Amino acid sequence: METLQHFALLLVGGALVNNILLTRFIGLCPFFGVSGAMETSVGMAGAVVFVMTLATTATWVFWNVLLEPLGVGEFLYIPAFILVIAALVQFVEMYLRKSSPALYRSLGIFLPLITTNCAVLATATESVRPGFFMMGIDYGFGFGEALVYTIGVAIGFGIALISFAALRERLEVAPVPEAMKGIPMAFITAGLLSFGYVGLGGLFGL
Amino acid sequence: MREWIAVFKRGIAIDNPLTVLMIGLCATLAVSTKVEGALFMGLAVIFVLGMSSVIVSSIRHLVPEKVRIPVFIVIIASFVTIVDLTMKAFVPDVYDFLGVWIPLIVVNCMILGRAEAFSYHNPVRLAVADGLGMGSGFAIVIVVLAFIRELFGSGEIVFLGANLLSLPDGYPAPGILVLFPGAFIVFGFIVALTAWYNRRTTGRTVETSAHCTIEEGGR
Repeated sequence: METLQHFALLLVGGALVNNILLTRFIGLCPFFGVSGAMETSVGMAGAVVFVMTLATTATWVFWNVLLEPLGVGEFLYIPAFILVIAALVQFVEMYLRKSSPALYRSLGIFLPLITTNCAVLATATESVRPGFFMMGIDYGFGFGEALVYTIGVAIGFGIALISFAALRERLEVAPVPEAMKGIPMAFITAGLLSFGYVGLGGLFGL
Repeated sequence: MREWIAVFKRGIAIDNPLTVLMIGLCATLAVSTKVEGALFMGLAVIFVLGMSSVIVSSIRHLVPEKVRIPVFIVIIASFVTIVDLTMKAFVPDVYDFLGVWIPLIVVNCMILGRAEAFSYHNPVRLAVADGLGMGSGFAIVIVVLAFIRELFGSGEIVFLGANLLSLPDGYPAPGILVLFPGAFIVFGFIVALTAWYNRRTTGRTVETSAHCTIEEGGR
Protein backbone atom coordinates (compact mmCIF):
# COMPACT_ATOMS: atom_id res chain seq x y z
CA MET A 1 0.00 0.00 0.00
CA GLU A 2 2.78 2.29 0.99
CA THR A 3 4.51 1.83 -2.35
CA LEU A 4 1.28 2.18 -4.30
CA GLN A 5 0.68 5.52 -2.64
CA HIS A 6 4.24 6.56 -3.39
CA PHE A 7 3.84 5.73 -7.07
CA ALA A 8 0.49 7.51 -7.28
CA LEU A 9 2.07 10.61 -5.76
CA LEU A 10 4.93 10.48 -8.24
CA LEU A 11 2.46 10.24 -11.11
CA VAL A 12 0.23 13.11 -9.96
CA GLY A 13 3.19 15.18 -8.84
CA GLY A 14 4.88 14.81 -12.20
CA ALA A 15 1.74 15.40 -14.24
CA LEU A 16 -0.10 18.17 -12.42
CA VAL A 17 1.57 19.68 -9.38
CA ASN A 18 4.96 20.12 -11.03
CA ASN A 19 3.60 20.39 -14.55
CA ILE A 20 6.65 20.48 -16.75
CA LEU A 21 5.39 23.15 -19.14
CA LEU A 22 3.38 25.56 -17.08
CA THR A 23 5.04 25.51 -13.70
CA ARG A 24 8.60 24.63 -14.60
CA PHE A 25 8.93 26.05 -18.11
CA ILE A 26 10.76 23.03 -19.48
CA GLY A 27 10.07 22.30 -23.15
CA LEU A 28 8.39 25.58 -24.00
CA CYS A 29 9.51 25.69 -27.64
CA PRO A 30 6.97 23.14 -28.91
CA PHE A 31 4.47 24.62 -26.48
CA PHE A 32 4.44 27.82 -28.52
CA GLY A 33 5.62 26.32 -31.78
CA VAL A 34 3.05 23.60 -32.49
CA SER A 35 0.11 24.72 -30.35
CA GLY A 36 -1.33 26.74 -33.24
CA ALA A 37 -3.31 23.75 -34.45
CA MET A 38 -5.14 21.15 -32.42
CA GLU A 39 -4.19 18.22 -34.62
CA THR A 40 -0.43 18.74 -34.44
CA SER A 41 -0.65 19.26 -30.69
CA VAL A 42 -2.25 15.88 -30.21
CA GLY A 43 0.43 14.30 -32.41
CA MET A 44 3.20 16.03 -30.51
CA ALA A 45 1.76 15.00 -27.16
CA GLY A 46 1.66 11.38 -28.29
CA ALA A 47 5.21 11.51 -29.59
CA VAL A 48 6.48 13.01 -26.33
CA VAL A 49 4.86 10.31 -24.19
CA PHE A 50 6.46 7.70 -26.43
CA VAL A 51 9.96 9.16 -26.68
CA MET A 52 10.22 10.36 -23.10
CA THR A 53 9.41 6.94 -21.69
CA LEU A 54 11.93 5.24 -23.98
CA ALA A 55 14.59 7.88 -23.32
CA THR A 56 14.38 7.65 -19.55
CA THR A 57 14.47 3.86 -19.71
CA ALA A 58 17.62 3.99 -21.84
CA THR A 59 19.42 6.69 -19.84
CA TRP A 60 18.49 5.10 -16.51
CA VAL A 61 20.04 1.81 -17.58
CA PHE A 62 23.03 3.63 -19.10
CA TRP A 63 23.63 5.58 -15.88
CA ASN A 64 23.17 2.71 -13.47
CA VAL A 65 25.01 0.07 -15.49
CA LEU A 66 27.82 2.10 -16.99
CA LEU A 67 28.37 5.66 -15.81
CA GLU A 68 27.78 5.33 -12.08
CA PRO A 69 29.76 2.10 -11.44
CA LEU A 70 32.68 3.54 -13.42
CA GLY A 71 32.53 6.75 -11.41
CA VAL A 72 32.44 9.01 -14.44
CA GLY A 73 28.80 10.08 -14.22
CA GLU A 74 29.61 13.45 -12.75
CA PHE A 75 31.61 14.59 -15.78
CA LEU A 76 30.08 12.64 -18.59
CA TYR A 77 26.38 12.65 -17.98
CA ILE A 78 25.61 15.67 -20.18
CA PRO A 79 27.21 14.49 -23.44
CA ALA A 80 26.38 10.85 -22.71
CA PHE A 81 22.67 11.45 -22.17
CA ILE A 82 22.22 13.72 -25.13
CA LEU A 83 23.94 11.24 -27.43
CA VAL A 84 21.94 8.31 -26.07
CA ILE A 85 18.71 10.24 -26.60
CA ALA A 86 19.70 11.42 -30.09
CA ALA A 87 20.72 7.92 -31.17
CA LEU A 88 17.57 6.42 -29.68
CA VAL A 89 15.31 8.86 -31.50
CA GLN A 90 17.10 8.07 -34.77
CA PHE A 91 16.60 4.34 -34.28
CA VAL A 92 12.96 4.76 -33.30
CA GLU A 93 12.39 6.84 -36.40
CA MET A 94 14.00 4.25 -38.68
CA TYR A 95 12.16 1.40 -36.99
CA LEU A 96 8.78 3.12 -37.19
CA ARG A 97 9.26 4.01 -40.84
CA LYS A 98 9.82 0.36 -41.75
CA SER A 99 7.47 -1.39 -39.35
CA SER A 100 4.51 0.88 -38.83
CA PRO A 101 3.99 3.48 -41.55
CA ALA A 102 0.67 4.62 -40.05
CA LEU A 103 2.22 5.45 -36.70
CA TYR A 104 5.19 7.00 -38.48
CA ARG A 105 2.92 9.32 -40.43
CA SER A 106 1.29 10.64 -37.27
CA LEU A 107 4.38 10.83 -35.03
CA GLY A 108 7.26 10.89 -37.51
CA ILE A 109 7.57 14.59 -38.20
CA PHE A 110 7.79 15.36 -34.49
CA LEU A 111 10.56 12.92 -33.71
CA PRO A 112 13.58 14.97 -34.85
CA LEU A 113 12.14 17.95 -32.99
CA ILE A 114 12.01 16.00 -29.78
CA THR A 115 15.76 15.26 -29.79
CA THR A 116 16.46 18.87 -28.98
CA ASN A 117 13.52 19.19 -26.63
CA CYS A 118 14.78 19.96 -23.18
CA ALA A 119 11.84 18.17 -21.55
CA VAL A 120 13.26 14.79 -22.49
CA LEU A 121 16.78 15.52 -21.26
CA ALA A 122 15.48 17.18 -18.10
CA THR A 123 13.32 14.22 -17.14
CA ALA A 124 16.09 11.76 -17.90
CA THR A 125 18.54 13.77 -15.79
CA GLU A 126 16.16 14.22 -12.89
CA SER A 127 15.46 10.54 -12.75
CA VAL A 128 19.05 9.65 -11.96
CA ARG A 129 20.66 12.73 -10.46
CA PRO A 130 19.75 13.24 -6.83
CA GLY A 131 19.20 16.85 -5.89
CA PHE A 132 17.81 18.01 -9.20
CA PHE A 133 14.40 16.79 -8.33
CA MET A 134 11.93 19.09 -6.68
CA MET A 135 9.58 16.91 -4.67
CA GLY A 136 11.74 16.45 -1.62
CA ILE A 137 13.36 13.23 -2.80
CA ASP A 138 17.12 13.44 -2.61
CA TYR A 139 18.18 10.07 -3.94
CA GLY A 140 18.36 8.69 -7.47
CA PHE A 141 15.21 6.91 -8.54
CA GLY A 142 14.79 3.18 -8.72
CA PHE A 143 13.75 1.89 -12.12
CA GLY A 144 10.03 1.69 -11.33
CA GLU A 145 9.99 5.17 -9.83
CA ALA A 146 11.82 6.63 -12.80
CA LEU A 147 9.35 5.04 -15.21
CA VAL A 148 6.23 6.14 -13.33
CA TYR A 149 7.56 9.66 -12.85
CA THR A 150 8.44 9.95 -16.52
CA ILE A 151 5.01 8.79 -17.65
CA GLY A 152 3.46 11.32 -15.27
CA VAL A 153 5.59 14.14 -16.65
CA ALA A 154 4.78 13.17 -20.23
CA ILE A 155 1.05 13.07 -19.51
CA GLY A 156 1.30 16.50 -17.87
CA PHE A 157 3.05 17.78 -20.99
CA GLY A 158 0.22 16.43 -23.14
CA ILE A 159 -2.54 17.91 -20.98
CA ALA A 160 -0.96 21.36 -20.94
CA LEU A 161 -0.16 21.36 -24.68
CA ILE A 162 -3.60 20.23 -25.79
CA SER A 163 -5.50 22.60 -23.49
CA PHE A 164 -3.33 25.50 -24.65
CA ALA A 165 -3.95 24.58 -28.30
CA ALA A 166 -7.69 24.71 -27.62
CA LEU A 167 -7.32 28.18 -26.08
CA ARG A 168 -5.27 29.45 -29.01
CA GLU A 169 -7.89 28.36 -31.50
CA ARG A 170 -10.34 30.66 -29.75
CA LEU A 171 -7.73 33.40 -29.59
CA GLU A 172 -7.60 33.54 -33.39
CA VAL A 173 -10.98 35.22 -33.53
CA ALA A 174 -10.67 37.33 -30.37
CA PRO A 175 -10.22 41.12 -30.66
CA VAL A 176 -6.62 41.76 -29.56
CA PRO A 177 -4.76 45.12 -29.61
CA GLU A 178 -2.46 45.47 -32.63
CA ALA A 179 0.85 45.34 -30.72
CA MET A 180 -0.20 42.29 -28.70
CA LYS A 181 -1.31 40.17 -31.66
CA GLY A 182 0.15 36.71 -32.03
CA ILE A 183 2.97 35.63 -29.75
CA PRO A 184 2.67 38.30 -27.01
CA MET A 185 -1.00 37.43 -26.50
CA ALA A 186 -0.14 33.74 -26.51
CA PHE A 187 2.23 34.40 -23.60
CA ILE A 188 -0.43 36.25 -21.61
CA THR A 189 -2.86 33.40 -22.27
CA ALA A 190 -0.29 30.87 -21.10
CA GLY A 191 0.17 32.97 -17.96
CA LEU A 192 -3.55 32.86 -17.26
CA LEU A 193 -3.61 29.11 -17.91
CA SER A 194 -0.76 28.60 -15.50
CA PHE A 195 -2.69 30.46 -12.79
CA GLY A 196 -4.76 27.30 -12.62
CA TYR A 197 -1.66 25.33 -11.78
CA VAL A 198 -0.75 27.67 -8.92
CA GLY A 199 -3.92 26.39 -7.29
CA LEU A 200 -2.62 22.82 -7.51
CA GLY A 201 0.57 23.68 -5.61
CA GLY A 202 0.69 21.99 -2.25
CA LEU A 203 -1.76 19.30 -3.30
CA PHE A 204 -1.07 16.14 -1.19
CA GLY A 205 1.78 18.09 0.36
CA LEU A 206 3.87 17.87 -2.81
CA MET B 1 35.33 46.02 -38.35
CA ARG B 2 32.07 47.71 -39.24
CA GLU B 3 30.67 44.39 -40.36
CA TRP B 4 31.77 42.86 -37.07
CA ILE B 5 29.91 45.48 -35.08
CA ALA B 6 26.83 45.13 -37.27
CA VAL B 7 26.70 41.38 -36.66
CA PHE B 8 27.24 41.89 -32.95
CA LYS B 9 24.50 44.51 -32.69
CA ARG B 10 22.02 42.41 -34.63
CA GLY B 11 21.98 39.80 -31.88
CA ILE B 12 21.15 42.39 -29.27
CA ALA B 13 18.38 44.27 -31.03
CA ILE B 14 16.79 43.38 -34.32
CA ASP B 15 17.39 39.63 -34.14
CA ASN B 16 17.27 39.26 -30.38
CA PRO B 17 17.14 35.50 -29.73
CA LEU B 18 14.49 35.80 -27.05
CA THR B 19 12.10 38.53 -28.03
CA VAL B 20 12.28 38.21 -31.82
CA LEU B 21 13.59 34.77 -32.79
CA MET B 22 11.83 33.18 -29.78
CA ILE B 23 14.46 30.56 -29.16
CA GLY B 24 15.77 29.43 -25.82
CA LEU B 25 12.69 30.50 -23.91
CA CYS B 26 12.51 27.77 -21.30
CA ALA B 27 15.56 28.75 -19.30
CA THR B 28 14.70 32.43 -19.53
CA LEU B 29 11.31 32.11 -17.93
CA ALA B 30 12.45 29.60 -15.33
CA VAL B 31 15.53 31.27 -13.87
CA SER B 32 14.31 34.87 -14.05
CA THR B 33 12.94 34.82 -10.52
CA LYS B 34 16.23 36.22 -9.20
CA VAL B 35 18.60 38.75 -10.76
CA GLU B 36 21.54 36.82 -9.35
CA GLY B 37 20.61 33.55 -11.03
CA ALA B 38 19.65 35.32 -14.25
CA LEU B 39 23.01 37.10 -14.45
CA PHE B 40 24.97 33.88 -14.02
CA MET B 41 22.75 32.11 -16.52
CA GLY B 42 23.40 34.95 -18.98
CA LEU B 43 27.16 34.70 -18.46
CA ALA B 44 27.06 30.92 -18.86
CA VAL B 45 25.20 31.27 -22.14
CA ILE B 46 27.56 33.98 -23.45
CA PHE B 47 30.51 31.70 -22.66
CA VAL B 48 29.04 28.56 -24.21
CA LEU B 49 27.70 30.37 -27.26
CA GLY B 50 30.90 32.33 -27.85
CA MET B 51 33.23 29.37 -27.44
CA SER B 52 31.13 26.93 -29.44
CA SER B 53 30.86 29.51 -32.24
CA VAL B 54 34.65 29.69 -32.42
CA ILE B 55 35.09 25.93 -32.54
CA VAL B 56 32.22 25.22 -34.92
CA SER B 57 33.34 27.95 -37.26
CA SER B 58 37.00 26.95 -37.26
CA ILE B 59 36.27 23.30 -38.08
CA ARG B 60 33.48 24.03 -40.54
CA HIS B 61 35.51 22.82 -43.54
CA LEU B 62 36.43 19.55 -41.83
CA VAL B 63 32.96 18.48 -40.72
CA PRO B 64 30.86 16.77 -43.38
CA GLU B 65 27.31 17.99 -43.72
CA LYS B 66 25.79 14.66 -42.68
CA VAL B 67 27.34 14.39 -39.23
CA ARG B 68 27.31 18.06 -38.35
CA ILE B 69 24.51 17.92 -35.76
CA PRO B 70 26.14 15.28 -33.51
CA VAL B 71 29.46 17.12 -33.82
CA PHE B 72 27.84 20.39 -32.76
CA ILE B 73 26.15 18.69 -29.85
CA VAL B 74 29.39 17.20 -28.56
CA ILE B 75 31.17 20.56 -28.85
CA ILE B 76 28.38 22.35 -27.01
CA ALA B 77 28.11 19.63 -24.37
CA SER B 78 31.83 19.94 -23.58
CA PHE B 79 31.56 23.65 -22.91
CA VAL B 80 28.42 23.14 -20.85
CA THR B 81 30.27 20.56 -18.75
CA ILE B 82 33.00 23.15 -18.14
CA VAL B 83 30.40 25.65 -16.96
CA ASP B 84 28.64 22.98 -14.88
CA LEU B 85 31.76 22.00 -12.96
CA THR B 86 33.10 25.56 -12.64
CA MET B 87 29.88 26.92 -11.18
CA LYS B 88 29.57 23.98 -8.83
CA ALA B 89 33.04 24.74 -7.51
CA PHE B 90 32.94 28.52 -7.22
CA VAL B 91 29.32 29.62 -6.79
CA PRO B 92 27.56 26.63 -5.19
CA ASP B 93 24.52 28.67 -4.11
CA VAL B 94 23.86 29.87 -7.63
CA TYR B 95 24.51 26.36 -8.91
CA ASP B 96 21.83 24.97 -6.61
CA PHE B 97 19.41 27.67 -7.69
CA LEU B 98 19.98 27.04 -11.39
CA GLY B 99 19.89 23.26 -10.88
CA VAL B 100 18.83 21.32 -13.94
CA TRP B 101 19.05 24.44 -16.12
CA ILE B 102 22.81 24.23 -16.44
CA PRO B 103 22.83 20.81 -18.19
CA LEU B 104 19.83 22.00 -20.18
CA ILE B 105 21.95 24.67 -21.90
CA VAL B 106 23.03 21.80 -24.20
CA VAL B 107 19.57 21.50 -25.66
CA ASN B 108 18.91 25.21 -25.58
CA CYS B 109 17.94 25.58 -29.20
CA MET B 110 19.48 29.02 -29.32
CA ILE B 111 22.99 27.59 -29.20
CA LEU B 112 22.47 24.72 -31.62
CA GLY B 113 20.42 27.03 -33.82
CA ARG B 114 23.20 29.62 -34.06
CA ALA B 115 25.83 26.95 -34.72
CA GLU B 116 23.70 25.61 -37.53
CA ALA B 117 22.45 28.88 -38.96
CA PHE B 118 25.50 31.11 -38.60
CA SER B 119 28.79 29.66 -37.34
CA TYR B 120 28.77 26.74 -39.76
CA HIS B 121 28.72 29.09 -42.75
CA ASN B 122 30.80 32.04 -41.61
CA PRO B 123 34.45 32.81 -40.77
CA VAL B 124 35.60 32.70 -37.17
CA ARG B 125 35.77 36.48 -36.87
CA LEU B 126 32.06 36.92 -37.61
CA ALA B 127 31.02 33.78 -35.76
CA VAL B 128 32.49 35.23 -32.57
CA ALA B 129 30.56 38.46 -33.13
CA ASP B 130 27.36 36.51 -33.65
CA GLY B 131 27.94 34.31 -30.60
CA LEU B 132 28.77 37.20 -28.31
CA GLY B 133 25.97 39.36 -29.71
CA MET B 134 23.31 36.67 -29.39
CA GLY B 135 24.61 35.74 -25.94
CA SER B 136 24.49 39.36 -24.81
CA GLY B 137 21.02 39.81 -26.26
CA PHE B 138 19.93 36.79 -24.26
CA ALA B 139 21.64 38.02 -21.08
CA ILE B 140 20.15 41.51 -21.31
CA VAL B 141 16.59 40.29 -21.73
CA ILE B 142 16.86 37.68 -18.99
CA VAL B 143 18.34 40.18 -16.51
CA VAL B 144 15.68 42.80 -17.31
CA LEU B 145 12.96 40.20 -16.86
CA ALA B 146 14.45 39.04 -13.58
CA PHE B 147 14.85 42.64 -12.40
CA ILE B 148 11.17 43.40 -12.97
CA ARG B 149 10.02 40.17 -11.39
CA GLU B 150 12.27 40.26 -8.35
CA LEU B 151 11.88 43.96 -7.60
CA PHE B 152 8.11 44.19 -7.97
CA GLY B 153 7.34 40.63 -6.91
CA SER B 154 9.29 40.57 -3.67
CA GLY B 155 9.99 44.26 -3.06
CA GLU B 156 13.76 43.97 -2.98
CA ILE B 157 16.74 42.74 -4.96
CA VAL B 158 19.24 40.52 -3.22
CA PHE B 159 22.52 39.90 -5.01
CA LEU B 160 25.01 37.37 -3.58
CA GLY B 161 23.67 37.97 -0.09
CA ALA B 162 23.74 41.79 -0.28
CA ASN B 163 20.59 43.85 -0.50
CA LEU B 164 21.00 45.99 -3.62
CA LEU B 165 17.73 47.80 -3.88
CA SER B 166 14.48 47.75 -2.02
CA LEU B 167 11.10 49.36 -2.35
CA PRO B 168 9.52 51.28 0.58
CA ASP B 169 8.29 49.13 3.44
CA GLY B 170 4.55 49.49 2.87
CA TYR B 171 4.78 48.09 -0.66
CA PRO B 172 2.31 45.25 -1.07
CA ALA B 173 4.39 42.79 -3.08
CA PRO B 174 2.26 40.80 -5.51
CA GLY B 175 3.88 37.39 -5.09
CA ILE B 176 2.34 36.19 -8.33
CA LEU B 177 5.10 37.97 -10.27
CA VAL B 178 7.68 35.66 -8.77
CA LEU B 179 5.51 32.60 -9.33
CA PHE B 180 5.27 31.06 -12.79
CA PRO B 181 2.28 32.99 -14.22
CA GLY B 182 4.24 36.21 -13.68
CA ALA B 183 6.99 35.00 -15.98
CA PHE B 184 4.63 34.38 -18.88
CA ILE B 185 2.78 37.65 -18.46
CA VAL B 186 5.77 39.96 -17.94
CA PHE B 187 7.58 38.30 -20.85
CA GLY B 188 4.48 38.72 -23.05
CA PHE B 189 4.61 42.46 -22.43
CA ILE B 190 8.35 42.61 -23.12
CA VAL B 191 7.80 40.85 -26.46
CA ALA B 192 4.99 43.25 -27.35
CA LEU B 193 7.19 46.21 -26.44
CA THR B 194 10.09 44.97 -28.59
CA ALA B 195 7.78 44.32 -31.51
CA TRP B 196 6.37 47.84 -31.19
CA TYR B 197 9.86 49.37 -30.92
CA ASN B 198 11.23 47.41 -33.88
CA ARG B 199 8.26 48.44 -36.00
CA ARG B 200 8.75 52.08 -35.11
CA THR B 201 12.49 52.15 -35.78
CA THR B 202 12.64 49.99 -38.89
CA GLY B 203 9.23 50.74 -40.30
CA ARG B 204 8.51 47.08 -40.89
CA THR B 205 6.84 44.43 -38.85
CA VAL B 206 9.45 42.01 -37.64
CA GLU B 207 7.81 38.62 -37.64
CA THR B 208 8.14 36.96 -34.30
CA SER B 209 8.23 33.25 -34.69
CA ALA B 210 8.29 30.41 -32.23
CA HIS B 211 10.03 27.57 -33.93
CA CYS B 212 12.63 25.39 -32.47
CA THR B 213 13.63 23.09 -35.26
CA ILE B 214 17.24 22.64 -36.16
CA GLU B 215 16.33 23.03 -39.81
CA GLU B 216 15.03 26.54 -39.48
CA GLY B 217 17.15 28.13 -36.79
CA GLY B 218 17.30 31.55 -38.44
CA ARG B 219 18.72 32.39 -41.83
